[in-house]
Amino acid sequence: MNFWDKMLNIDRRWIFLAIGVVTIIPFLIGIGMPITTTTEVEDIFDFVNELGPENAIFVAFDFAPGTQAECMPMAVGVVRHAFHNDVPVFMTAYFPLSHGMMMAGFDYVTNPSIDGYYQVVEFAEWAHLREAGITTKAELVTEWENAGNVLPDNAANWVFEGRDYALLGYAPLFHLVILGMTSSIANQYPEDANGNALIEMPMLNEHKSLREVDLALTTAGSSACMSWITYAREKIGTPIAFGVTAVMATDYYPYIQSGQIIGQMGGLRGAAEYEVLMVENDVTESTGKAFRGMDVQSADHLLIILLIIMGNIAYFAGGAHKRHQMKGRG
Amino acid sequence: MKRTVPLMIVMVGGILMMIQYFIPHQYSQVVFDNYTEWAPIVGAFALLLGVGSLTRVHSHRIKRKAPNWPYSWAVLIPLFGMPFLALIWPESLWGGSDSPSVFHFLFMNIQVPIQSTMFSLLAFYIASAAFRAFRAKSALATVLLLSAVIVMLAQVPIGEIFGPWLQNTGLWILRYPNLAAKRAIMLGVGFGILATNLKIIFGVERNWLGGAGE
Repeated sequence: MNFWDKMLNIDRRWIFLAIGVVTIIPFLIGIGMPITTTTEVEDIFDFVNELGPENAIFVAFDFAPGTQAECMPMAVGVVRHAFHNDVPVFMTAYFPLSHGMMMAGFDYVTNPSIDGYYQVVEFAEWAHLREAGITTKAELVTEWENAGNVLPDNAANWVFEGRDYALLGYAPLFHLVILGMTSSIANQYPEDANGNALIEMPMLNEHKSLREVDLALTTAGSSACMSWITYAREKIGTPIAFGVTAVMATDYYPYIQSGQIIGQMGGLRGAAEYEVLMVENDVTESTGKAFRGMDVQSADHLLIILLIIMGNIAYFAGGAHKRHQMKGRG
Repeated sequence: MKRTVPLMIVMVGGILMMIQYFIPHQYSQVVFDNYTEWAPIVGAFALLLGVGSLTRVHSHRIKRKAPNWPYSWAVLIPLFGMPFLALIWPESLWGGSDSPSVFHFLFMNIQVPIQSTMFSLLAFYIASAAFRAFRAKSALATVLLLSAVIVMLAQVPIGEIFGPWLQNTGLWILRYPNLAAKRAIMLGVGFGILATNLKIIFGVERNWLGGAGE
């Protein structure tokens, strides 16, 4: 066995070790390589950036824990962006597991240990203001702070449950739930995930069905995102945006060209681009997990390309291709 | 009877929902609303059927001491344990509403790491497979290999050290050749789905019935 054959038959545990080392080191160093943005992501950002308190969006957590590394930063980014602009956000989940992802994503955006978090005011806490007819965001904040509530220093703003967000969560046969929400959101979700009646929520009264919603962003690790095209975009024309894993991103370029989706965030790169756009437009002060993860992805992609080149050199230089051809003829 | 009734339900339901889509009338909307309210309820019962079936299969395995039967406990214990905990202990582990519930705690600390770890293993296997199998054996394989290298580099920030041409070429591959190929495949799949759906609705394709009534 010559050198090239030995190289071709290298113990795969060495490759696993190399990947492990190359993945961990950039995390520890934190290089922070610059990222240029693409039109696919800019279109989503610009669309959300144009919205205000009179609009509403859906952010669908249509992924399981396996793909959260890619999908979660996209969903978190768009929720933060919407909260920054006081755009009400309905959050849903396609699968039982994605319900947990929705709760985890919301916890992350509203976690007091993270600077720039959004301070939650639960539905029951501001019932007296609702009963007094105060439901607009500006009035709510004023009245809430006049009552002696102080926004913590590291918080970005208040978010009122039922005014700024509704955690709708998972419902069985979700594609039919999307179809049903084209007529009425409250019919499909009489209560949210916390047991609050949807019909009492100001944001629901202003946006009763998907027809009155300005955007649905689906973050998905499977073809679940297609249900939003089939049942919301094609039936009633709801604008749709995709946030999908990198391997899936290639599948959905036809939908961008046909105008059926306004844009697409593909993999960690797409999420990192959204984070960069948020910093550039003063939505957040710093980038997040996706941007940090791109250093790791850079190193891993380089290593994989190096392995491909080494594998090919060993294959051709060692004459394995000739043996392969002869075997094929025999 | 076991075959005729399901076939009739599928045919009537399928045709009704097809026609409904093209009739902008109040009655049509009522049919649509009723359907979308009832279907998830039926779906929830199907979920119960699935849980029942899974329980039966795994309890039989445990009773018969079938090969690898202890793993059946790994299915049954969480299957009933998680909903049970959610029902009897909906509050947090340490009391109060600021900390997560037991259900959420177990989900975040068992389910999430297990699934994330399984998916992360792909990185190791992809690297190993790329080294062993990604060969420029022919002209077409070489085109595929070069495209993959360009797209991979264009997707990461380090690719920008080669200049803007690399990212532009990567995006061009995704936006044009990739798009054209995907559209062709999707059209083929779409027509296939249409044909299969029509065959199911009109009772030509009956495999979905399984062995019922035979």
